[in-house]
Amino acid sequence: MPMKGRFPVRRTLQYLSQGDIVFKSSVKVMTVNYNTAGELSEGARKFVFFNIPQIQYKNPWVQIMLFRNMTPSPFLRFYLDNGEQVLVDVEDKTNKEIIEHVKKILGKSKEMLEKEERERKKLSHPATFGPKKYHLRECMCEIEGQVPCPALVPLPKEMRGKYKAAMKNEA
Amino acid sequence: MSVPRGAVHAKWIVGKVIGTKMQKTAKVRVTRLVLDPYLLKFFNKRKTYFAHDPLQQCVVGDIVLLKALPERKSKHVKHELAEIVFKVGNVIDPITGKPCAGTRFLENLSDSENLTEADTTYLSEKLQELKVCSTDK
Repeated sequence: MPMKGRFPVRRTLQYLSQGDIVFKSSVKVMTVNYNTAGELSEGARKFVFFNIPQIQYKNPWVQIMLFRNMTPSPFLRFYLDNGEQVLVDVEDKTNKEIIEHVKKILGKSKEMLEKEERERKKLSHPATFGPKKYHLRECMCEIEGQVPCPALVPLPKEMRGKYKAAMKNEA
Repeated sequence: MSVPRGAVHAKWIVGKVIGTKMQKTAKVRVTRLVLDPYLLKFFNKRKTYFAHDPLQQCVVGDIVLLKALPERKSKHVKHELAEIVFKVGNVIDPITGKPCAGTRFLENLSDSENLTEADTTYLSEKLQELKVCSTDK
């Protein structure tokens, strides 16, 4: 049973999380003007079809607006927090070239992304136990080589509190 | 506790003007792409904002850039008009700076009217050379 649509791989979480571009925090709005016909706008059309979902997935707080057939030349426009506007002409550029260019001018660099990843890792301690939302594991019984969960496999007699208490009373 | 700018989350937004019946205020519709959790596809979600427009220069259908005000002007108005990006019926292509409509330019792009005598003679000579080359073949 295949997925519906022309390129349904665009609608998978794996594809969406493969997006490279994470914008700097000063980028607020991204506007794409492109045309639905014409060779020069081909790269822009591919960019909108394949890469806009990836960008929006990685940058949920950036407003992305698409305008079709408003001007003869295709372009991207970014509105930054300090009032600055960045105009990127994408006429006669391929899909990949546009991504590379945008990543270079307004994307967070790899070092910055790794640094942020490390900061986030520092906040949570991997060796603690608790609810799945905040910790890796909930109980010691989940780990291989440890005593299995008594809900699945009954504990041996010697470990049960009932037996230990009976032994103590006897002695 | 200082709120430097924007009592509201959206600092800069781009939207389309849908109403100008209020005095010095424009009703702007802003669309954002929101991911549907089951289909994993992005759909446009609309929201209307009211923006302060002191000169009443917006017409219905303009694409405008709004800037968040430092504190809200009235109960609903929290933004002001920063710039009209595309004026309806009068779109200027930012790459060339010329007025355009849809996918064609409104005025003639080539500057054939402004050519000097020297330019025209040079060009006609070049054309002659091209004619000669084609007859040789």
